[in-house]
Amino acid sequence: MALRPAGDYKVDYGADMALLDTAFYRRGFLLLLLALAAAPLWTGRFIFLLTTIGIFAIGATGLTILTGFTGQISLGHAAFMAIGAYGSALLTGRFGLPFPVALPLAGLIAFAFGAVVALPSLRIKGLYLAIATLAFQFLTEYGIIHAVGEGLGAISVRAPRIGPWTLRGEVQTYYLVLVIWLLAGTFAANLARTRVGLALMAVRDRDYAAQVMGINLLAYKTLAFGLAAGYAGVAGSLWAHYNRLISPEHFTIVTSIDYVAMVVMGGLGSIWGPHLGAAFVTALSQGLKIVTPAVVTVLPGFATAATPLREIAFGAILIALLIWEPGGLAQLARKLKRRLDLWPFSY
Amino acid sequence: MSEFLAGGLVNGVAVGSIYALIALGFALLYKSTKILNLAHGELVLFGGYLAIALSRALPFPAAVFLTLVAAGLLGFAIERAVMRPLFGQSLLSVIIVTLALGYIVRGVMVGMWGGDTRQFIGVVPTGVATVAGIPIQRVGLYSAGTALFLLAAFGLFFRYSLIGIAMRAAANEQLTASALGVSLRRVFAYAWAFAAMAAAVGGILLGLWLGVNFALGFVGLKALAAVILGGLDSIPGAILGGVLIGVLETTIGGYVDAHVIYGFKDILAFVVILLVLIVRPYGLFGTEHVERL
Repeated sequence: MALRPAGDYKVDYGADMALLDTAFYRRGFLLLLLALAAAPLWTGRFIFLLTTIGIFAIGATGLTILTGFTGQISLGHAAFMAIGAYGSALLTGRFGLPFPVALPLAGLIAFAFGAVVALPSLRIKGLYLAIATLAFQFLTEYGIIHAVGEGLGAISVRAPRIGPWTLRGEVQTYYLVLVIWLLAGTFAANLARTRVGLALMAVRDRDYAAQVMGINLLAYKTLAFGLAAGYAGVAGSLWAHYNRLISPEHFTIVTSIDYVAMVVMGGLGSIWGPHLGAAFVTALSQGLKIVTPAVVTVLPGFATAATPLREIAFGAILIALLIWEPGGLAQLARKLKRRLDLWPFSY
Repeated sequence: MSEFLAGGLVNGVAVGSIYALIALGFALLYKSTKILNLAHGELVLFGGYLAIALSRALPFPAAVFLTLVAAGLLGFAIERAVMRPLFGQSLLSVIIVTLALGYIVRGVMVGMWGGDTRQFIGVVPTGVATVAGIPIQRVGLYSAGTALFLLAAFGLFFRYSLIGIAMRAAANEQLTASALGVSLRRVFAYAWAFAAMAAAVGGILLGLWLGVNFALGFVGLKALAAVILGGLDSIPGAILGGVLIGVLETTIGGYVDAHVIYGFKDILAFVVILLVLIVRPYGLFGTEHVERL
């Protein structure tokens, strides 16, 4: 199935640069697309899981551009998601803009905020930048709570309307998210092999060396932060219109940590990483939420221990995966495929 | 006005000295391992909860002693089980792992002690004392004293003891120190143990003052502001930064809170972080890092 001729038979530039470069990947991706398109048939009431994974995968893709390709650490990704969510809620609610206009606008608003946050990254890096973004996260939460005023910052959001149709219910929202998810993923995958993507990777590997080679650090770091924030903004807008009620509690430091966990566990610097990571982290936290009540019905005494056990399990799995395979799930998949290529022989 | 300022100053020093003690743990660990432990707030709570639980059964000094021993062992265990396999991994992985560690420690604590606020019961005299006519929390005096004592103790330790000198050498240049026979493993293990013990001391004082509950994990982040202000790898900087943050909070924060916008006091620490990082990223006493190609 995974047969590939020994030797490299790519004869033109296009074949060499293809994202899905063998028949195995092309067929596999087609199967994946079919499975996702038919998801309402096989997931039933668990369709919300896929919608959530899609939204978070969009946000995590942004963080991969920033952290995986440009090497800038951000612990404030959820803040950009909040900005997108509240921006979109405001645009559709108070200004009455249609959803298809509000969604990209929310991304643009977050892009602008991201570009501003990028400015300190020229002076500080690594750990210090992580702390600065952490501070930004808390300041944004505070700002939103005070700007909204009553009700600890919670507001309700309209259902998304596209033209004459109002999207209601899980399945319709799922398809909306799926389309944007595919667009966002494809854009990021293509970005990674363009001139811009290569420049971002040069900045990651050694920013001053990149500058010496003529890469404008101000422009590219700003662009990376802006793109990451823009992705988070789009994810936030989708989240707002999917949940219909948003409050700063959805976008706390915990969500930011989840995002970083997604990109690290998925595999930094891999275009599949954020999607695998988002799927894994979401499935893990939601799965633990689904499994624990089932256990409680069998063992009633387990009820008080359920919540802390969920936290412990999450932390322990994170640590175990990072120690076992620092390259994340993408690397794990690569290893698995290499083993299957030659199965049943060892070399 | 001057009364407000004087009161703010004295109480700010009292609160700030608790921040300083917690910040000390951050700085200790960063100095010798270059790891910023984002689970530090959880370790603080662990110290507080454990000491309170032990003080129900044992006299207070014994409870404090046992808590410090337990915290030290926890530090050793974390280094051995989690940090050592990750030696040489990227900064981001290490940050994530300390966060995950925080999840685990918090989960264990919630499982054991539940989520409500707990306090010491009548172990030492608390309440309000007066210093030069200004009312002040008595716990503030204890923590200021402890902070001064620990500052002196760690100063002497790093100056004269063999392991202290090894830790400074490792902080300066890990590979060179290793080549000269310093066991990096031992240095890291001690650093984690000391950091956990400093956190436990902070937790105990916090427990004496406010009682401990899980909202106070936040206090670890305020201590983060203190170390950033003082310089990440400077122990006197951490102490001074903690006191400064405390004073800023009670004076400027208190004023703005009351007269301009509500809730500013809790966010002040992060404003300080951003300002310091933009103006002077290595803090007041931190080592300035010059990057060369």
